[in-house]
Amino acid sequence: MRWFLRYSFLVVIAACIVFFSLWNPVFLSAGNQMNILEGSAILLIVALGMTLVVSMGGIDLSVGIALDFGAAFAVVALKEYDAAWYVAILAGIVGGCLIGILNAVLIVWLNVSAFMATLGTFFIGSSVQRIFTNGGGPISHRRMPQEFRDLAVGDVAGIPTEVVIAAVVLILYFIFLECSIFGKRIQAIGLQPTAALIAGIEVKRIIFFGFIIAAATCAVGGLIASANIRMFTPLSGFSYLLDAIAAVFIGASMHPRGRPNVVGTLVGVLFLGILANGLNLMGLNFNTKDALSGIILVLALAFAIGQRRFVVLRKGHK
Amino acid sequence: MNASPYFRKLVEWVPVAVFAGMFIFLGIEAPNLFTPFTIDLMLKQAVPTVVVSLGLAVVIMTGGDDVVSGGIDLSIPAAAIIAAAIIADQVTNHGTLLPIALVFALLAAIMVGVLNAFLVVVIRMTPLLATLATSVAVVGITKVITQSKRINVTDPFIVFLRDGTVIGLSAGVVAAGLLTLIYWFLMHRTRWGMQAQATGGGREAAEVSGISTKAYQTISFFLAACTGFLASMFVLARGSGSSPGTEDNLLLEMVLATFLGAAFSPRRKVTIWGAALGAVLVTMLSVGFKSIGVNVFWTGCIKGSLILIVVASAAATARGRY
Repeated sequence: MRWFLRYSFLVVIAACIVFFSLWNPVFLSAGNQMNILEGSAILLIVALGMTLVVSMGGIDLSVGIALDFGAAFAVVALKEYDAAWYVAILAGIVGGCLIGILNAVLIVWLNVSAFMATLGTFFIGSSVQRIFTNGGGPISHRRMPQEFRDLAVGDVAGIPTEVVIAAVVLILYFIFLECSIFGKRIQAIGLQPTAALIAGIEVKRIIFFGFIIAAATCAVGGLIASANIRMFTPLSGFSYLLDAIAAVFIGASMHPRGRPNVVGTLVGVLFLGILANGLNLMGLNFNTKDALSGIILVLALAFAIGQRRFVVLRKGHK
Repeated sequence: MNASPYFRKLVEWVPVAVFAGMFIFLGIEAPNLFTPFTIDLMLKQAVPTVVVSLGLAVVIMTGGDDVVSGGIDLSIPAAAIIAAAIIADQVTNHGTLLPIALVFALLAAIMVGVLNAFLVVVIRMTPLLATLATSVAVVGITKVITQSKRINVTDPFIVFLRDGTVIGLSAGVVAAGLLTLIYWFLMHRTRWGMQAQATGGGREAAEVSGISTKAYQTISFFLAACTGFLASMFVLARGSGSSPGTEDNLLLEMVLATFLGAAFSPRRKVTIWGAALGAVLVTMLSVGFKSIGVNVFWTGCIKGSLILIVVASAAATARGRY
């Protein structure tokens, strides 16, 4: 029974698939499945960054800002400085790192809670984007080098590049968080920071770099987003925030000890991707779709966390 | 850490000093800013923020001031804008009488509060995550109601809240003042308020001494949702209708005002007075910067930095204390 409850989210996903495919048979077609994967690539990258931060016992409300900065730095490098595509990628990642460093300084040096620090970063980052774009107008760059554009529209052996990038990030995070000693330390910090400190783990340094790595990861998502639409749209990253948090907690609800984990996050992201794609195929009005996905998100989070509280964690108390 | 008590005292006063500095700067740059007329205007502008800050103060005082495990309600601005959207939509597009529209709006706001309470108290989600999620869902539903369009409201009562005066003061300001008094009395002068604060101060201790902490937390979310509903009328009055995107700024100002209020209070605790005062000061600052011609987009940056200064100073003093 407990086993069933732990994986009940998979049942929910299966139910969604059945529902959407009955509604519109196109949902099951191979082309559409690739659509789902492509549509989930950026969210997966952002959610992996979030997994890292939540594993350390924090939260990052500024993932969207890191994503925006990644996109902005890359597009500006290409447009204003005629940079080569790899320089633009580097610039984007540096842009994301700046946000990560701001968070890290606030959290580790100034002892601000992760929530407040990243909320502040979110407000400042949003404001900076508005100042920079004079109110939030997009910066478009039609004549992008093909190599950069290929980040979103190209393919590697027939698989879209963004899916490949997301898969590579996924594998790196899996090795990093689940198989390395560094990952073990991060888990220790997330569970018992004081114990971790006493055990000789350099808690502050790991948290410091953790936030920077997470922000840099989100910037990769921003690169793909900007390559896809050939422009930088200010404040567009915000839409990933709650989805990323939801994916991490859905994933955590499937873990034996209710911890955030890479595979769980992948399942959470796919669930949200299936949901978004299915709702799209239902042909709903934009506003209705927004509202519906918001409501489903609350339900999914409540379900995931409630299940974690009542089923997964209770085992430990008995 | 090893900071001396004097240094700690100094750090404690940093937010107040930064604020004082900004006001002195504004006073020099724009001497007209502090005439009775403009002060009245700024107070009017501050009313919605004051009202929602009262709600947030109640939730924090009852839930504890740790932002992660304690109480926080980020969905009050969302409750305010959905209530505002419902009132505007009903009155302007459907010709409903205002009192009936108000009942609908109140029901919607209460549902937001009930949902928060359910997620936090029953499901035991972290308040910040729960209320953030609620807020996104509620903003989404609001878009369905308004179809992301602006809806004008010309109802006499709403216009009265904007332009009317009571004993020489703006009606909105008087109403917000009264509301502050009511919430202050409730939280600081009644048995209920004391027990709610005990819940926030130390949940386990409160529970051991026989206080039903769950009930208090539930009611605090309910009271917060009520401020969201009340704020909706002032949001409509201030903007002469409901417009999309009002919630972001309200959220920023609410969080800043409430935590700033704590920096001004003698024990560095969130209080009702502090929240109201903080809201007034934050609005004055926004208006002040606007009036001396600072780019409007900079104000978000300044306010964001202020939040961080306030919180960092609180963190530094807390570190010294423990």
